[in-house]
Amino acid sequence: MSSQHTLETADMLPRRRRDWLFGLGLTIVVIVVALAVVGPYIGPYDPTLTTPNVSVPPPSLAEVPGLFSAWISGTLEAPPHWMGTDASGFDVFSRVIAAPRTDLVIALVANGLSLVIGVFLGLIAGYYRNAATEFMMRVSDVMQSFPVFISAMVLVALAGRSTTNIVIALAFVYTPIYVRLTRAEVMSQKVRGFVEAARALGNTELNIAIRHVLPNSLTPALIQASVTIGFAILLTAGLSFVGAGVRPPTPEWGLMISTGANQIILGEWWPSVFPGIAISLTVFGFAVLGNALERRYDAS
Amino acid sequence: MHREAAAVAERPETMAARTVLSVENLVVGYPVDGRMVKPVDGLSFKVHEREVVGLIGDAGSGKSTAALALLGLARPPGKILGGRVEFDGRDLLKLPEAEIRAIRGRDIGIIVQNPRSSLNPMLRIGKQIGYAYEAHNQASGTEVRRKVIEMLRMVGINDPESRAEAYAHELSGGMAQRALIAMALSSKPKLLIADEPTSGLDVTIQAQFLDEMWNTVQKTGSAILLITQELGTLANYCDRVLVLHEGRIVEDAPVRQFFANPQHPYSQQILKLQRERGHSLGLPPVEAGTRPLLATTDLRKTFAVRHTKKLIQAVDKVSLTIGRGETLGLVGESGSGKTTVGRCMLRLLEPSSGSVVFDGEDLVKLPPNDMRRYRSKLQIVFQDPFDSLNPRWSIRRILTEPLDLHTKLSTADKRRRAEELMDLVDLDRALLDRRPRGLGAGALQRINIARALACNPEFIVLDEPTSVLSPRARVGLIELLVRLQKELGISYLFISHDLTTVRYLCHKVSVMYLGQIVETGTVEQVFSKPRHPYSQALLSAHLFPDPTNRRVDSVIPAALEGEIPSPIDLPHGCYLASRCPHVVEACRATPQALEPLEGGQSVRCWRAVAGEIQAFGGAHA
Amino acid sequence: MLFRYISKRFAVGLLQLIGLTIAVFFLIRLLPADPVSRLVGMNASPEAYAQAAKQLGVDRPLLAQLATYLGFQPEIAPGLLQGSLGVSWVTGTPVTAEIAAYLPVTLELVTLSFILALAVAVPIGMFGALNPGGKADKGVFVYSLFAGSQPEFWWGLLFVYLFFFTLGIAPAPLGRLSPMSSPPDVVTGFMTIDSLIAGQFDLFVEALHHLMLPVFTMAFILSGPIIKMVRQNMARALQSDFVLYANCAGLPKRRVAGYALRAAMAPSMTLIGILYGFMLSGAVLTESVFSLGGIGQYAINAVLNYDYPAIQAVVLVITAISLVVYLALDLIHAAIDPRIAF
Repeated sequence: MSSQHTLETADMLPRRRRDWLFGLGLTIVVIVVALAVVGPYIGPYDPTLTTPNVSVPPPSLAEVPGLFSAWISGTLEAPPHWMGTDASGFDVFSRVIAAPRTDLVIALVANGLSLVIGVFLGLIAGYYRNAATEFMMRVSDVMQSFPVFISAMVLVALAGRSTTNIVIALAFVYTPIYVRLTRAEVMSQKVRGFVEAARALGNTELNIAIRHVLPNSLTPALIQASVTIGFAILLTAGLSFVGAGVRPPTPEWGLMISTGANQIILGEWWPSVFPGIAISLTVFGFAVLGNALERRYDAS
Repeated sequence: MHREAAAVAERPETMAARTVLSVENLVVGYPVDGRMVKPVDGLSFKVHEREVVGLIGDAGSGKSTAALALLGLARPPGKILGGRVEFDGRDLLKLPEAEIRAIRGRDIGIIVQNPRSSLNPMLRIGKQIGYAYEAHNQASGTEVRRKVIEMLRMVGINDPESRAEAYAHELSGGMAQRALIAMALSSKPKLLIADEPTSGLDVTIQAQFLDEMWNTVQKTGSAILLITQELGTLANYCDRVLVLHEGRIVEDAPVRQFFANPQHPYSQQILKLQRERGHSLGLPPVEAGTRPLLATTDLRKTFAVRHTKKLIQAVDKVSLTIGRGETLGLVGESGSGKTTVGRCMLRLLEPSSGSVVFDGEDLVKLPPNDMRRYRSKLQIVFQDPFDSLNPRWSIRRILTEPLDLHTKLSTADKRRRAEELMDLVDLDRALLDRRPRGLGAGALQRINIARALACNPEFIVLDEPTSVLSPRARVGLIELLVRLQKELGISYLFISHDLTTVRYLCHKVSVMYLGQIVETGTVEQVFSKPRHPYSQALLSAHLFPDPTNRRVDSVIPAALEGEIPSPIDLPHGCYLASRCPHVVEACRATPQALEPLEGGQSVRCWRAVAGEIQAFGGAHA
Repeated sequence: MLFRYISKRFAVGLLQLIGLTIAVFFLIRLLPADPVSRLVGMNASPEAYAQAAKQLGVDRPLLAQLATYLGFQPEIAPGLLQGSLGVSWVTGTPVTAEIAAYLPVTLELVTLSFILALAVAVPIGMFGALNPGGKADKGVFVYSLFAGSQPEFWWGLLFVYLFFFTLGIAPAPLGRLSPMSSPPDVVTGFMTIDSLIAGQFDLFVEALHHLMLPVFTMAFILSGPIIKMVRQNMARALQSDFVLYANCAGLPKRRVAGYALRAAMAPSMTLIGILYGFMLSGAVLTESVFSLGGIGQYAINAVLNYDYPAIQAVVLVITAISLVVYLALDLIHAAIDPRIAF
């Protein structure tokens, strides 16, 4: 039996060799989080104001070093448009680095909200099995069967296109996932020996639920959260893309891709491509972190 | 099962037999965090024709890894790093893939400790056995089919035609193990590797299974490498013993010599109890005539069967008493209700009726809050030490939790008490800041005991505390429990299926069958003169670690027939009637009561009370 | 047994759909949107407003509206019980007919993307599992993480820029056929199949050409989770006790591989079902990049115009299809794995 224990520990080994990947994911996430804090203030232009320069292409790679030194030495009248400007004259670079404030905050708050509510309800539903909690699970089932993107679109569009409403809509579609995950884990943890031991020691049921079962049931929800943050960013951007997300001129990646979309057929690629790269890397970063957490959990 | 004397004379240890398998310097490694961990590191030994060789070692000593490596396999991502495995004069590790595949299953069969997960869950077992046979033998479809049925019958499966159609998840553990042995022996291998084949099986089935395996192999003329953690298995079935410690063989001796005079310190440790103490550990005597510390009267527990109105009778009118400083052993097979009795005593399960009087107070009648206060006096240690400690807490927090609940000690006093507890169970205080993860079963079980001791309890339920421990940890734990009883005067209820351990630890024993106590008495009485047919069967099936009185050399008394009746529809009369070798018509009609005999022994069998059943003396008294 | 299981699943699914219908019905009416003023305009007179509200039936109590919608008042208007999903508030046509026209576009897109994704991803995932720890496996793993976390609408645009604008090998992202071509008679609604039925092979090719980029886009996104799943399930199966034991018993390599493949396939079914449902809803984005006019774009219009019957219908239909797909895949799962009891 314990020879299997050693085998299982042996199974976790490829982890170390993928550390560079983990480092990459962590770097991306740290940068995005930092931009969410300072992004709107450090850009060369105000991300919500247009400039008179419309549809300026970004400098070619060869020009960048010269431009950069000129900019540093202060010989330029105005800072260069590193990523060009879009058809309305917005500086793409300033908006790309200001957008995490919108995208990441929506994703984090929505996830935090659904995580807290979902874990709380999941703990109750898993620890106390009765008609009321069974009914709750049926409601959760119905909520979970909603088509995710379309539901979010309906909620935001009908409630009004505001950041708060996007957060609520995302929390609505994600909460049932956390309820289900936590409930399942609680049900498997509450029959474990240490729970019975806690009872034998004279703990109250409430005490057992909160001090013993809950901390041991959090892992699946936390792993899910690390993955869902990335998906929430995709969802937020997607909503803006179809016109059911934040309103212009809020700097938001999906909205930027959407405004650039009409120009792309005309060859004006930069207003869409740069924010897209930002989303692509950000969500990938979160996926890498989530995956690393998942592997650690599987190994233990 | 009667064995002829001739078979004994043919014992391979007396012959200069040919070598079947010769292992030299075998090394198997698993990459862990970039470096190689080598569970098998320089393994060398030989197995001769028709020999039964036992391989014993602690958990993690590399036994299972070694077993696979003998076939040139390692569980991914492990790798065989070096050495020779010579079989029939050829080094298996150097053979091309196709040739070694031909040897696996044909010349070397293997059965493993997790039979159900080793059978393909998606194929009927008959089909799987057939595939294994086809892989090594030219045969038509009907021949394969006939062979499958023949093999299933040979390993003792009733109604093989319909069992062949079953899937693995529909089989019991014992049944799946038999299917596996049918597969392993279908091509008459010259060597059978049996890796803890009986772990997870009940005592009575365990002996039956090993008997069948032993008999079958005697017929096919195979040699056996029997990997085990049980001294009893070693003593009763093996001709020679190999001791595996830290990846290599540290002792290689004929079985009697091994038990009589072990050489390596590890061997001496695992045999310590047998060698120093014989059968008894010198338990502290119990004061006679005082009021018992704890007594249950007519304790009953029923469970509702889901979606029906039927009830499962888990515990049926159990009355027992435990004196101060006394240990009562509660033995029986799985499903006998012994664990439920322990839970009901502490009201971890609410008894359906009956009383549990502890120190003059009926616990069953206490309101929940008062019961919670009583819990400091009555504690429990569970079977699985890995599972019974909160994995997120440090050992210190685990040990101070009961103090938080039941005392008003200062933080400094609690810290001191935690350290005291660690000393008490012989653990290093440095472990206090670690989490349970990564500690061995033995250490974890000591922490469980320390936690139970935190508030100076008077009574502890020990629910199979030694059953998942490796041999060495088991010896240590038994000694610890006896010492604690001597020093602290605690009373134990020791629940176990392992009669060897019960005999070391207990003053009295109660035998349970289907929720009832069928026999109670002192350890002496029950072990040397069991009166109830079920106790007799249980004792005769137990493998005592005594190579001078081997099961395979002696005549085994009749075993119980058939299977345990369902606890939902219990028979009206004696519960054992359908399986008892002494059954008469009256047994089936009359419910049996626990009747006292002379000397304080009592038994639930009217024929035994009437003196119609011979006291059975074959057990190792 | 099987029949009982299927009918039970249908019954449960039906209950779920009823719960969903009622939930959606109330949810969209509780939100602060005002469909009437959206229809008549902000500056409409109170009379015109009241007139429009009456026409849409939103002046009646909510429960009465629900009763009509569910079909308990066929004398007012047909409802669900009569097989009607109501009439669009914007176009005035029955929603059922509109869905019938838009849905096949999405199903065609999603199904083709799935076929392509499976065809590519399954072998890649298996290759990764069979060579664990190697450079190739690592590449496969990183790819699967990457592809699974990408914004498909952006990749769609990128493909358009690359293959249409720069290379000129793809058609403009403006629908299922070029504006010059006249579509074949609608039989199944699948452009590829209908053109073949009509015997117009050139149209078939043209339809495929227009589907090329959208299908690539979705298949790329889909390939991530599928590779990850196949790789993981296959690796798990290869490490399982029974595969190890099959090797111990000396079974031929081919048979052992068969054991592992079957064991890896069974648990994959559930995820494929979930992905299909997810993609059905997520196709909105790809459709709008390529102006395909599927159910997703229909949903966008319905949502932006506050067309409540259309919104309800879209949610209901997509959920119903997902539930049927789940059931079908569960049946396949049970056929592969006897441990799944009906």
